Amino acid sequence: MSHIQLDDLRKRFGDVEAVRGIDLEIEKGEFLVLVGPSGCGKSTTLRMLAGLEDISEGELRIADERVNGVAPKNRNVAMVFQNYALYPHMTAAENMKFGMKSAGDYGDDEIERRLDRAADILDIPELMERKPGELSGGERQRVAIGRALVREPEVFLLDEPLSNLDAKLRVQMRAELLKLHQELQTTTVYVTHDQTEAMTLGDRVAVLDAGQLQQVAEPQELYDFPANRFVAEFIGNPAMNLVPVDVVEDGGEVRAEHEGFSVGLPDQAGLDDAVGQSAHFGIRPEDVSLAGNLPADAPTHEITVSVTEPLGESLLMHCDVGGDEIQVKAEPRAEIRPGDDIEVGFDEERLHLFDQSGDAVYHSTSATPKTSEAPLTE
Amino acid sequence: MTEFTKPFDSSWQAYLLLVPTFAVLIAFLYYPAVETFRLSLYQTLLLGTQKAFVGLENFKILATSPEYQRSFVISFAFAAFVVVGTLVVSLFVSYLLFEVSRGTSSYLVAAIWPYALPTAVAATVLMFLMHPTLGVITHYLEALTGIELDWFTSGPLAFVVVGLVAIWKQLGYNIIFLVAALNNIPETLTESAKLDGVGRLKMLYKVYVPLISPTMVFLVVMDTIYAFFQTFPMVDLMTSGGPSGATNLLIYKLYRDAFEFNSLGKASAESIILFVIVAILMYVQLRVSESYTHYGA
Ligand SMILES: Nc1ncnc2c1ncn2[C@@H]1O[C@H](COP(=O)(O)OP(=O)(O)OP(=O)(O)O)[C@@H](O)[C@H]1O
Ligand SMILES: [Mg+2]
Repeated sequence: MSHIQLDDLRKRFGDVEAVRGIDLEIEKGEFLVLVGPSGCGKSTTLRMLAGLEDISEGELRIADERVNGVAPKNRNVAMVFQNYALYPHMTAAENMKFGMKSAGDYGDDEIERRLDRAADILDIPELMERKPGELSGGERQRVAIGRALVREPEVFLLDEPLSNLDAKLRVQMRAELLKLHQELQTTTVYVTHDQTEAMTLGDRVAVLDAGQLQQVAEPQELYDFPANRFVAEFIGNPAMNLVPVDVVEDGGEVRAEHEGFSVGLPDQAGLDDAVGQSAHFGIRPEDVSLAGNLPADAPTHEITVSVTEPLGESLLMHCDVGGDEIQVKAEPRAEIRPGDDIEVGFDEERLHLFDQSGDAVYHSTSATPKTSEAPLTE
Repeated sequence: MTEFTKPFDSSWQAYLLLVPTFAVLIAFLYYPAVETFRLSLYQTLLLGTQKAFVGLENFKILATSPEYQRSFVISFAFAAFVVVGTLVVSLFVSYLLFEVSRGTSSYLVAAIWPYALPTAVAATVLMFLMHPTLGVITHYLEALTGIELDWFTSGPLAFVVVGLVAIWKQLGYNIIFLVAALNNIPETLTESAKLDGVGRLKMLYKVYVPLISPTMVFLVVMDTIYAFFQTFPMVDLMTSGGPSGATNLLIYKLYRDAFEFNSLGKASAESIILFVIVAILMYVQLRVSESYTHYGA
């Protein structure tokens, strides 16, 4: 039985509909990441789970109990805020104890035991007597997480907890959060706008745009089989290349025709329906290879390099193909200059087609749709 | 881009523009202060037309006068009553205003308008509302409690009534600052407490009060000054210091000595003492609060 159930959940602020009907089931012990661009309704959704925001419409169930009108404190959830929300006049220990003491359900021994345990797990025993003002950002975040831990809640809710940290610390804390979750196995809903964070942390990732769920899937599936153009472009960095093509049948073979190239499409589900339509052809920069790395008989296309960006571990090239721009990732030390014409080939197992409304109609490898959900249409 | 322009060609122009301010300050603040100090060393007759230098004699007379001593004690008690009363009530009202989510501004206006009323008007209005025989409030209070509330003859009652009026008048000022301070507290702190199930009262004294303590210290100082200096019209209009000196605050006694009994020298000495008292009080309040107050959330 799923632990948290969102059933057509909606939130309106006056005329603004911030969340437009979300259906989602979160399993017990799962780490679910809600990801999407700024303003898409992630925080609002999370705050509805916490009870900090009223639900305008729809139903929310936690542990099979309808909690729409239930007060936050009775939902047995703990939340970690982006700005930590620590009480500035209390020490770390007092911050972590305050909620438990106020609730009055716990004995002093129990409180101390939980405090020590949380401090050990987070490796912060030596910080317990300091006030937030005397802690670094990362340390504050640990204390904030500690405050959620001591509650031993049924559900953890985290709203962009790492976004105030510098890049290096963020990576480190990310790993620690993963470790923590493996240890505690508490159901967790984690909000972020950072797709890398989403991919690395989530058991499953829910992509949100404009208040609507776009796709919920495991990270690799999201990357390999995006359900629509939005997910295709949002997940993965740099974003997937999308160029308009005509899908035509030519002597038993279906091809995607573009001014600058023509690619044969391996037979897979959905291909027949696409024939005769114009569509968007999608390929990720890392799935385009220089001709030199391909077998001699592989089909190649000529493209013109306009800008090169050395990223260190690879060379990112912005190229022109038949009037459209595509990005290509090549080996870091490839001797390529802007203005060069180069031969590239597309990995034929990683081709995608999206129809005019933006939905994916075809992936050149068959998806294993065990968790993938159909995209929402308005 | 805006270019940096020198505001004045020379410093004398700047000084020239400051002259009016300085003139006002000197004419109405520094000169009277110095003159008051000088006067406190004289014995005066007939509104100061005749005076004789007596040194510290005025201060000596005051120190040994039982009437002055009584007024001294009453003023301190009155200030304590007003400062504590104002802070407690305004904190309570502000917290309610802070928590309410609908019609906030109308409540706010309702809560602070007494502050906009001239003190004399406020005193007169409340005097009639609480009049021992005519007052609406007194009528119902007496009907409810069965106690006779004749504060025209009872000293302690008069003290409380004037104190309540002083508190009522000062609430608005305090509420403005407290509501602003409460609204400055990050909302996530409140939300975090909601998730933990912290009670509202506990939240108030464990979190909000510590966080707004700098504002509260400021208000303690301002309310102290108010209680000592600005309560004159209420005493004057409502009790004239009576009954039998029960509301004879230092500021009122000072006025009577100066303008009813024509002892300008003595009154000057009293105002010097009052000034020193309040200065010392402020210093103590600020020093004490320094160790408790949480600055910089
Ligand atoms: N209290 C509110 N009143 C009115 N509109 C609101 C309120 N809170 C949020 N919104 C609107 O709802 C939409 C979703 O906001 P939300 O905070 O959930 O976005 P988000 O996905 O968390 O974005 P971010 O990544 O920037 O935090 C936004 O358009 C926002 O302007
Ligand atoms: Mg947000």
